[in-house]
Amino acid sequence: MQKHHNEKSINISLSIIYGIVVLFLMSELTPVFSALLAILCVWNFTITIMNKPKPSTLYANILAGFSLVLLLYEIGFGDTVTLFVAMLILSSLFKLLQAKTKKNYQTIVLLSFFSLSTVYLFSQSIMATLCVSALYVFNFAALALIESKHSLKIASKQSGKMLLLALPVAVFLLLFLPKLPAFWQLPGPKLAKTGLSESVNPFDIAKLSRSDELVFRAKLSKNNPPAPPYYWRAIIHDKFDGHTWLVSDFLKSQQRIKKPVSNTGQFNSQYTIIAEPSSQPWLYGIGQAYSPNSDVKNTEQGLLIRKRYLSNNINYDVKSSPLNAPQLDRINHYQNLTLANSEQYNVQSQQLALSLYEKNNSDSAFVTALTEHFLNKGFAYTLTPEPMTGNNTIDEFMFNNKRGFCGHYASAAAFMFRTVGIPARVVSGYLGGELNKQDEYLSVYQYDAHAWVEVYIKDKGWQIFDATAVVSPERLNGSLSQMQSLNNEFTNNLDFSLLRFNQIPGFNWLRLNLENLDYKWTNWVLGFDQQKQSSFLKRLFGNSQLWKISLFVILSIVIIFISYFVYLNWPKKTKIDEHLLVKHYKEIQLWCAKNGFDHTASQTPLHYLNLASEHFAEKGSLFLQFAQLYSDVRYKGDEFTQQRKKHSYDLVKSIKTKAKRSL
Amino acid sequence: MHSTVTEIIDDLSQVIFGKKTQIKLALTCLFSQGHLLIEDLPGMGKTTLSHALASVLGLSYQRVQFTSDLLPSDILGASIFNSNEHTFTFHRGPVFSQVVLADEINRAGPKTQSALLEAMEEKQVSMDGDIYPLPTPFFVIATQNPLYQSGTYPLPESQLDRFMMRISLGFPPKEAERKLILGVNNRDYESLPKRINSSQLIDIQSEILKLTISEPIIDYIIELVSYTRQSGVFANPLSPRASIALGKAAQAWAYIEGRDFVTPDDVQTVFKSVTAHRLGIDEQTSELQIKQLLNAVPVPL
Repeated sequence: MQKHHNEKSINISLSIIYGIVVLFLMSELTPVFSALLAILCVWNFTITIMNKPKPSTLYANILAGFSLVLLLYEIGFGDTVTLFVAMLILSSLFKLLQAKTKKNYQTIVLLSFFSLSTVYLFSQSIMATLCVSALYVFNFAALALIESKHSLKIASKQSGKMLLLALPVAVFLLLFLPKLPAFWQLPGPKLAKTGLSESVNPFDIAKLSRSDELVFRAKLSKNNPPAPPYYWRAIIHDKFDGHTWLVSDFLKSQQRIKKPVSNTGQFNSQYTIIAEPSSQPWLYGIGQAYSPNSDVKNTEQGLLIRKRYLSNNINYDVKSSPLNAPQLDRINHYQNLTLANSEQYNVQSQQLALSLYEKNNSDSAFVTALTEHFLNKGFAYTLTPEPMTGNNTIDEFMFNNKRGFCGHYASAAAFMFRTVGIPARVVSGYLGGELNKQDEYLSVYQYDAHAWVEVYIKDKGWQIFDATAVVSPERLNGSLSQMQSLNNEFTNNLDFSLLRFNQIPGFNWLRLNLENLDYKWTNWVLGFDQQKQSSFLKRLFGNSQLWKISLFVILSIVIIFISYFVYLNWPKKTKIDEHLLVKHYKEIQLWCAKNGFDHTASQTPLHYLNLASEHFAEKGSLFLQFAQLYSDVRYKGDEFTQQRKKHSYDLVKSIKTKAKRSL
Repeated sequence: MHSTVTEIIDDLSQVIFGKKTQIKLALTCLFSQGHLLIEDLPGMGKTTLSHALASVLGLSYQRVQFTSDLLPSDILGASIFNSNEHTFTFHRGPVFSQVVLADEINRAGPKTQSALLEAMEEKQVSMDGDIYPLPTPFFVIATQNPLYQSGTYPLPESQLDRFMMRISLGFPPKEAERKLILGVNNRDYESLPKRINSSQLIDIQSEILKLTISEPIIDYIIELVSYTRQSGVFANPLSPRASIALGKAAQAWAYIEGRDFVTPDDVQTVFKSVTAHRLGIDEQTSELQIKQLLNAVPVPL
């Protein structure tokens, strides 16, 4: 079989491309399967480097069969998108391992364009975009190598140029191509991991490993931004089964039924939220939130819920009012009070609550008392609590352990409120966020996830009770990452990232700037939705209809392409700098023509000037002088000195001006 | 040197009345080392002109009258057996002379024509394995009767191309003809003084090649030549040899005019003589056709 001359560099390029794609998809695929893919990449890379033959077809097919079994076992049929992505990459890699002919390589390069695009299913950050773009260039280069004898370097350079050429087209399409609703949607890919879940059971968690994944960004309005601390509410847990706080069926049913939500309350703050893709329904807002966005469902509790799952960011405006719902209806009251646990567990805590209540005998006084209890009885905040098991976890926490994170405090506090007959519920969401002063927006990460308690105080309505804040008040302001005391513990729990180097000023600066860049990317590119587009187009064209814009876009593209091909086929004229004398000669010709002495193209300049000198007898010598000058410079090859230049100007001028006088 | 050229022209004008342009064109041809074809009716002064040229320029001269039975050896020469020395000795033909007048060249058969034209191109004669160089300078002035006359073998295009120029003398003006009849001031060409010798002629030839020929002129020549190739009007477009000849002829004309640089006017002046026969245009119709061609091509400025 004929050995392709560039086979080696094509193999290496493709191995590297797939290696990086696997790196990107690692978090979506299981570790074992990722390892398998990585091994295939390395295998192909190694045999190429060492000039070893590719595995035989039978061998490779048997391996592929086993890998397929592994794939089905590891990924399963639960998430079809991931399954298909995994299958695509697995098959491409096996094809690469067996590729021998030109056609094989063409197939693989084509497949790798798809493989590269799958990265966008899971990540659309600017980093991912840049990486994938670079890989596209690389892939184009590999495609070029199949057909040409260029080196990889030249091919990459040319491919890079191609991509740069495509950039304006991409910008144009982004801005002008009508954003049509999706014809099909991905069947719920696992888009992002959230720190929240419907059930809160803090006690069996030994180590809270926190992710620095971005959850959403909030752009605060200039006029009336919400006041800190920012409690971003996401889920209300109103059902306690003794261990875990859950969302009651009643609340769920309320969410499902589409009720018109009154937005009569006084809104006192406004902001816009750009939420990262998530497979979870809940969205984020402060207090009693209301959003007019058509993709967002408003609930009576002031929560915001996604109407549909989108693979891209969702951008919505929110108006918020304080929580105070003055009247709690009976069902709500019952829900928040009696869905408490059976009385036989956590007896100590119940007794403590009752005794605290009895001292003062008022709801608001109990709040104060409980606060003081947390403050004075040696409670501490930690991200690495000891796991607590058994039926009396709250007792254990309240009296023995006294170390825990937000979940512990919220869980315990809500339990105790309910014990004394004060309606209470656990709310999970996010607290704070990192403020970017330059652009006035908050970035909220998964490690900002928080849980707190909302209690219903008569005549005052729902109030936030955050025991965590009592224990570690700094947590209220800003992001967890900015807290000094917890920093070591915090960074130890974090996956490797730039945040780890928070203390080094340069790195922190870099991190904040990258973050800022990513915000702009998200806001302007990923968040460029139909609404933004239509307002942009309105600003550009006024109130045109959508079909007009579509027509404009299609026509523009057609015109651009046509003009490009016309340009390609345009006869190329070599542009020669015209000699000054030639210009002057033409001026004289023009002047003569105006004065009734035209020339023909085949007349030589000297002949013409001689005729002109006879025709305009009174200026004859001027024409003859010019003819002499012309022949000296243009034909004899005399230098066109400054003096001759001046002479030429003078002659032209006097030929013209004299005529004016005579006229 | 230029004053000598003027004298030569004046001398020739005393032999050929009223044909100054033709005389200058003929000189142009010889100065730029080309062979000359004179096409005209009998009795127009073709032979006189060529003979006069040879004697004024101080060159050896031979005249060959071409007839239908002329053989190549009649021109080139032949090897004849020397019975004393028992060897063949080459007897040089009339071609071994600086100016050869091939009179009525189109009356000889193709084989004879070819023999002469080969000698013109190679400037040497090959005979029986020996090479005999022709003298320098070497000119052939051929005269030709118009082709519609009977008993003529037209020269093929490939051989016409060997002649740098084709000129025709044409009928003399009335005043000149009157002088001819009266025999006024009519000098025999043999009585003309030798103005230069052959080495001076070679000097003039090399001097002409040094004349400035600037970019616009070259552009013009190229434009003209490519017009004949692209317009589709001409069956035999101009070859690169024609372009070279055009440049050289324009240089020689400029020299005769007393300039050391070429102008587009020079190109226009020599254009008809240099190109008409190459383009396959009859001498009779050439005036109009060449004028059209020149009008169609703008002069580069």
